[in-house]
Amino acid sequence: MGIEEIEVKEDKTVQELMDELKITSPILIEVNGEVFYPDENYGKILKRGDIVTLIPIVGGG
Amino acid sequence: MKVRRLNKVLLYDEGTSQALNIEEIAEYLRKKLAKVQVEVRGDPFAFYPSQDKVLDYAKKFASIKIQDSTKRMLSGQEPLYGEIEYEKRRILGKTRAFGILYDGLELQRILWQLILREESSLEFVHIFFNNRLFATWNEYDRRYHARVSLYGIPSIISTTGVVEAPAKPREYYILKQQYEMLGKDILELKDAFQGRFIDYEDERLTEVVKGYAMQAVFYALIGDPFCEDEGCRLYNAHWQEELIFAQLVSEYEFCPRHTGLIEDENGH
Repeated sequence: MGIEEIEVKEDKTVQELMDELKITSPILIEVNGEVFYPDENYGKILKRGDIVTLIPIVGGG
Repeated sequence: MKVRRLNKVLLYDEGTSQALNIEEIAEYLRKKLAKVQVEVRGDPFAFYPSQDKVLDYAKKFASIKIQDSTKRMLSGQEPLYGEIEYEKRRILGKTRAFGILYDGLELQRILWQLILREESSLEFVHIFFNNRLFATWNEYDRRYHARVSLYGIPSIISTTGVVEAPAKPREYYILKQQYEMLGKDILELKDAFQGRFIDYEDERLTEVVKGYAMQAVFYALIGDPFCEDEGCRLYNAHWQEELIFAQLVSEYEFCPRHTGLIEDENGH
């Protein structure tokens, strides 16, 4: 999975978005210019229309 | 594929090999990315001269050590006093990381805290160079794997990882076992394999790391740091001989596709 952007279709928490996308691998997310670790912000509300950038952490070597 | 606009590449020296010339890497990046500012930030802890901050970060580093590569590290490990003291000396540049394996994802979380919030986005390519050996957990074989690099915000490139993570030639390990059984000097073996792997304080280290810095750049630019082409500097080498080929021997630096992306970025 590379860096990708998705639009939030309805208000939901970060936890709900992660569950919906079945994301279990390490990731950062960017919303409205703010970058954060989802597991430190599970309760944060994402608004309908927000563009969320999923930033997977990739290991090399 | 979306190509992002880059604002700045920021390079940090979180305690590296003396063989690594970060200014030379910065100059290389400036040539490759003519429109992007490249700044050498140096020691990230220089912003935190207070003893409290040093102690705070020392505790964090000391708590992410992997004790057993077959057991997933539990977060919130309570470090010993000596481990914290060691990390304090490490932060203050009074000793170098050696023989310690860190959880790479946790290490990235700690280094992320050192980034200015206004520069915390994909427009800014933060690259921390260090000599900490780090690993990431693999659910499939349920063990940690040492890494050269970790790409994200920030990206981390380990000079110790360059030496230890990609495997040396198979025959090296067979002979190493024999040397150890016979009590022979391993340095002799290293001499026999000279040039076939990157060693500590290797004079080729800076040249090799330039390619990994470009992987961090491409990660921010297109979301994928790697290339399938074994001759491209973005090739994700798992063997030392692959690494040496991609970074030092190949007749070209980048494959046609990635060369094109660099040219596009420079407006050619």
